[in-house]
Amino acid sequence: MTYEPIWGSIIAWYLFLAGLGGGAFVTSVFIRFRHPECKKLIRVGHIIAPVVVIIGLCLLMADAFAGFMHPLRFALLLTNFGSVMTWGVVFLAVFVVVTLIVLIMDFMHKESPKWLDIVGMVMGICVAVYTGCLLGVCQGFPLWNNALLPVLFLVSAVSTGMAAVLLAGVFVAPDEFNTVVSLKKFHFWLPVVEIALVMALLFITAANPSQAGWDSVMTIICGNWAIAFWVLFIALGLVIPIVLEYWMLWFAGHEMETSRTGQMISGFSDLGVLVGGFVLRLLIVSAALPITIVQPWIF
Amino acid sequence: MMTRYGMLIDTTKCIGCYSCRTACQRQNDLLPDEGFIRYEHKETGTYPTVSVESVPLQCMHCEDAPCASVCPTGAAHMGADGIVEADQGRCIGCLYCMSACPYQVRVRNSKTGAVDKCRFCAVQTENGTTSCTCVEACPTHARIFGDLDDPNSELSKAIVERDAHPIAGDLTRAKIYYVR
Repeated sequence: MTYEPIWGSIIAWYLFLAGLGGGAFVTSVFIRFRHPECKKLIRVGHIIAPVVVIIGLCLLMADAFAGFMHPLRFALLLTNFGSVMTWGVVFLAVFVVVTLIVLIMDFMHKESPKWLDIVGMVMGICVAVYTGCLLGVCQGFPLWNNALLPVLFLVSAVSTGMAAVLLAGVFVAPDEFNTVVSLKKFHFWLPVVEIALVMALLFITAANPSQAGWDSVMTIICGNWAIAFWVLFIALGLVIPIVLEYWMLWFAGHEMETSRTGQMISGFSDLGVLVGGFVLRLLIVSAALPITIVQPWIF
Repeated sequence: MMTRYGMLIDTTKCIGCYSCRTACQRQNDLLPDEGFIRYEHKETGTYPTVSVESVPLQCMHCEDAPCASVCPTGAAHMGADGIVEADQGRCIGCLYCMSACPYQVRVRNSKTGAVDKCRFCAVQTENGTTSCTCVEACPTHARIFGDLDDPNSELSKAIVERDAHPIAGDLTRAKIYYVR
């Protein structure tokens, strides 16, 4: 039997958007802590966080066709607390409510209480980690069934969240974009960590006792997904952003870094991070092969 | 003692005719593209002395069912007498159970979007009612259905006599036993 992936690109979009939203809220809290004067960037984070998560959830509900036709069944999602998906629903619900309250307070020019920011940040992290655990508990897929995936998804989520806020900042708040140096320096390290995590994930998956682990990795690095992996994820999503940001933050002079050209270069690297973040989810969802199709008991 | 239903499939008797699959489709009123029984074929030997083993796979009704532990709505759950059930009225179609099932034997109903799978409908024949189950349809009697907890059942005896085992060792605590 040839294997057709169970989940498709809609789920990849959802995993990407959920992580992005969580990361964007973490970013807004980070900016409020380190650069409280950058009100516009904080607001950008406040807007992105609930909006992208809600878009992701709409995609998810449309993809769950049986529930889409019978929406009352979505209430049943809270019945099995042994399921990662049920926990995800709880995290997402609290996250969306908190981020919407924070957003409304922001528009009313009221300071949101610190504790609410912290609750939102913790929920954002929980959402990002849950997207990895969701796949991680599926024992039939060596590419998913390991403890690295939730960590990788968390780092990627925070990275894409920061990239989204910075990219929007280039256009709506160029002055503040130049101010948030500590955010940029923190953001620089995330793709570096991601490279290490992705390498570890691929090495360990390839060494899985099942042939499916090796085959999944080969599909990614030299099979059907190789171009997406090397060009869109590794080059555009990780290496180019690392090189460009390293240049901007430590090599280019202050004048270059804060010029419109410098901002556009940073913006391009942020766009690359976003593309890479989506391609990572797409690769992980699509390239995972199940142990039973190639398991020795059949072949 | 509780009843704990299980099945034996003797692949040394299976001729790969798909009778069980089509009977199941009729018995359970499935869509033309929906089958609860999936066939895998294993080729052995070198030409010209080759042989092909047909292995019909279906829901193993695992006692530690991974589908039931991940299902967020409780649609996939352990029902009475050890039969894993897929409640069509609770399923939202998230397909999480299909990802969690290590045997890839759960199928999505393309009309309703809900996930379904082998219902162990052979249990209906226990009282003598004739029906169109995989067990009755098999022309070579490769299948035996019965109570695993009853040491005197035809099933329990056959498992011991023919040295039958779950298809993938202890991957899960499966209740379908294979003779290979």
